[in-house]
Amino acid sequence: MTSHRSDAFLILILRLSAGLCLLGWAWVHLYWEGPYGILLWNENTYALAESWGIGWEEFVGSGANDGLVQTGLKWIGWLYVVCAAVTISVRSGAKIQMTVLALGTGFLTVLSYAKFLSAQLQFPMFLEHGGQMLSPALLGLALTWGARHRATVAVAIIAFIATFAGHGCYAIGWLPTPGNFHAMTSLVLGVEFETANLILRIAGVLDFIVCIGILIPATRQVSAIYATAWGLMTAIARPVAGMSLSLNYWGADQYLHEAVLRAPHFLLPLFLFLLWRYSDETSPSKKASSNVSEESRTDESS
Amino acid sequence: MRLRNFLTLICAGALLTSAAPVKNKPSANRRAKAVLTTPEVAPVDIICFALYTVSDGTLKLTAQLYPIPDGETHTVRLEIMQGRKWVEVAKTKVINPGWTAPFRVEDWNDSMAQRYRVRHGSTATYEGTIRRNPTDQDELIVAGFTGNSIQPSHGGDISRQDIIDNVKRVDADVLFFSGDQVYDHFKHYAAWLKFGRDFGEIIKDRPTICLPDDHDAGQPNLWGESGKISTLSGASDGGYSRPGVYVQEVERAQTSHLPDPVDPHKIGQGIGVWFTNLNWGGIDFAILEDRKFKTGPAGRVPKQGPRPDHIRNPEYDPASVDVDGAVLLGDRQLKFIDNWAQDWQDADMKVALSATIFTGGAHIHGDANGRLHADMDSNGWPQAGRNRALGSLRKAFAFHLAGDQHLATIFQHGVDEHRDAIWSFCVPSIANLYLRWWEPLEEGLNREAGSLAYTGDYLDGFANKVTNFAAANPEKKPSGKLLNTRAAGYGIVRINTQTRLITMECWPRNVDITDADSEQYPGWPRTISQFDNYNPPSWGQLGELSFAVEDPVVQLIDAETDEILYTVRASGKSFTPGAPSGRAFTVKAGKDSPDTVVVKSARVGSAPQRVKLN
Repeated sequence: MTSHRSDAFLILILRLSAGLCLLGWAWVHLYWEGPYGILLWNENTYALAESWGIGWEEFVGSGANDGLVQTGLKWIGWLYVVCAAVTISVRSGAKIQMTVLALGTGFLTVLSYAKFLSAQLQFPMFLEHGGQMLSPALLGLALTWGARHRATVAVAIIAFIATFAGHGCYAIGWLPTPGNFHAMTSLVLGVEFETANLILRIAGVLDFIVCIGILIPATRQVSAIYATAWGLMTAIARPVAGMSLSLNYWGADQYLHEAVLRAPHFLLPLFLFLLWRYSDETSPSKKASSNVSEESRTDESS
Repeated sequence: MRLRNFLTLICAGALLTSAAPVKNKPSANRRAKAVLTTPEVAPVDIICFALYTVSDGTLKLTAQLYPIPDGETHTVRLEIMQGRKWVEVAKTKVINPGWTAPFRVEDWNDSMAQRYRVRHGSTATYEGTIRRNPTDQDELIVAGFTGNSIQPSHGGDISRQDIIDNVKRVDADVLFFSGDQVYDHFKHYAAWLKFGRDFGEIIKDRPTICLPDDHDAGQPNLWGESGKISTLSGASDGGYSRPGVYVQEVERAQTSHLPDPVDPHKIGQGIGVWFTNLNWGGIDFAILEDRKFKTGPAGRVPKQGPRPDHIRNPEYDPASVDVDGAVLLGDRQLKFIDNWAQDWQDADMKVALSATIFTGGAHIHGDANGRLHADMDSNGWPQAGRNRALGSLRKAFAFHLAGDQHLATIFQHGVDEHRDAIWSFCVPSIANLYLRWWEPLEEGLNREAGSLAYTGDYLDGFANKVTNFAAANPEKKPSGKLLNTRAAGYGIVRINTQTRLITMECWPRNVDITDADSEQYPGWPRTISQFDNYNPPSWGQLGELSFAVEDPVVQLIDAETDEILYTVRASGKSFTPGAPSGRAFTVKAGKDSPDTVVVKSARVGSAPQRVKLN
């Protein structure tokens, strides 16, 4: 693959990563509800609203109508849709669209912070959203400076490490392993709790190994490809474990977005893997060694 | 403008939530998170507390221990004071995980109080009293609790000493913890030990009933679906979020001292069942599991709100969510209730205990966008299951005591018409994690003179018929961190087997409930008759039955369908059965069971009868 075509493909992966993530969250906001309760149901937030002359009923609604909260949450959902659309259309130098991408990262950061607060200030909860938060920003960087630019790669690696280290803290048991980790493992693999627990502990250790492996040139590709596979499995585990023919829409409206919004968990590692793979293929040393082999094969045949 | 304001608020909220000081903060550490650890204790203190019940001549006592160090014995002994000597009556091995030591002693003499002590090793001793069965006592006092949050942000760190003192002052006969004794979803053991340290002083000396609810089992809501594994955040897909072994540990700690389950077959993931009855002081308590078999709504009912279990659209069709196959109590438990309703041996009155009430008992739920039309976490859903449960419970004239809602209420439920089924008292939270309000948009119908506008007849969000008589709403805005602005407290129920009256009291925290100047939440106290629990307004009366014996058991059977209308122990030597018009009934009666047909084809308005029983 030529350098130009491979770069375009790498950027397509980043577009998909950011776009699917934002689209998944748009579904949460518009069809379900954004996870901002802990920020909004807060006397300090209300006091601030009150100081701006916003009354209680205007803030929360009367029940017969929507308040600022409900209307605002709906609008945020539409903003996510706009951000998702921009991931398709954005081009290098398009300032307004780039700003929208930055806004997407901002939205995802606030959302991740709300989840961090809901998780009783467990920092790994914030950390594991790193891939999602940074996905729109990463697309912007890749479009501005190039997919192979040092800054783009550095941010992709940071997003990778944040996601897998955050996840690993829960899987390894440093923080209480969420029940649905065990549940999904048991249901998808058909194993008992003890086996599921062992698998999760091993996966947790591997999460940290790939976080280190991604920094070492000799192991970064294998780390990235493992992370791609594991990220994909953990993302699709939600619909695989939960969907059923007996449910309305087969349960797709409950579970599918859970996989979609986690697209960065497997697409960012895939981006890194392909980036390094293409770099290897086009590097002068590889080319030279490949030419030598060609020549020797020609000599033997003659 | 609105959107810009809103976005600014979200961002400001994000900063303020973690940074800004809180108004009216009563102490510097009030915003701190509760620290939940398993303390290291000296060997002499290794027994934390003990819970017990006595039923049908069997004592079941569970001692809760701190972790036993390696090399120490896992055997725990139970001794009883006989004369002036301690005599060992049982021995058991501690079960880990959970460090619980369940004892069982058959042929227990419940006619006298007995001192007991639990022993471990040579030094650890924990003493208490097994009460005598108060069968000769007119009034039995039940203290009811729910929602034991320990988080400082809503007063959970405030001492429970007021509760201890008041339970001792009224000398409650039975303690009922209806659920959420533990809110930590991962450290039940450590939280249960703290619960024991907080309440052990009153638990050790009186029968105690604990129902583990959703948070105890480690999840925000619970639709158990017979032990399914739940994967959805919020668990509305049904099943348990935490592994089966965790749930088993929780149930071992909280329920292994209950009377034996009537139908002990396990459900999925090896999780046991514990629904049963406890007969104490002439009151027959049905201990129900209203979560364990219940179907999860996600994907089963049409989406009507921002969560699968929340209905926000007031225009929705309630019948659309009453889907075929949705279970509430389940067949096994309904069969138990039907049998229990007919069994009046040693029982003057019946009380049903469950985690929550059979209606959507709140309109505003503790979130900023709080008004919900209906909440499927309540027993108002599924409607068919709810009506089936109430249909069975009213056949026993059972009074219903529950918790879970974080909002104290009194309701009379209706099935076919308003006020045709049992009364329920939902007790307030010990410390209120999540605020709810009973705040209908319209005034209730058929209200009592001078009563508050939100009382009276309503249809709840599932179109169930309910009548509200009281609600202890918290303050309207999320102000303050104190207990009583959040309507925290507990319930005291006085059940009089002589007068057959039931008095519900609802007390705020930190008042002396024996002080004549202390005030309950508005709407309490309220006294009802046992017979109000099945007295539909549309019914008439059969002719009065006069008996030669005191308090016979009377049963009405539909002469055409053979269906039992109800069974009840009459008060005194006469009883005037209520019944619907236009149907004929066979009346059976007996001293302790309705084994003799005393009237055939009785109808509303039929003549009085003198009945002779053998």
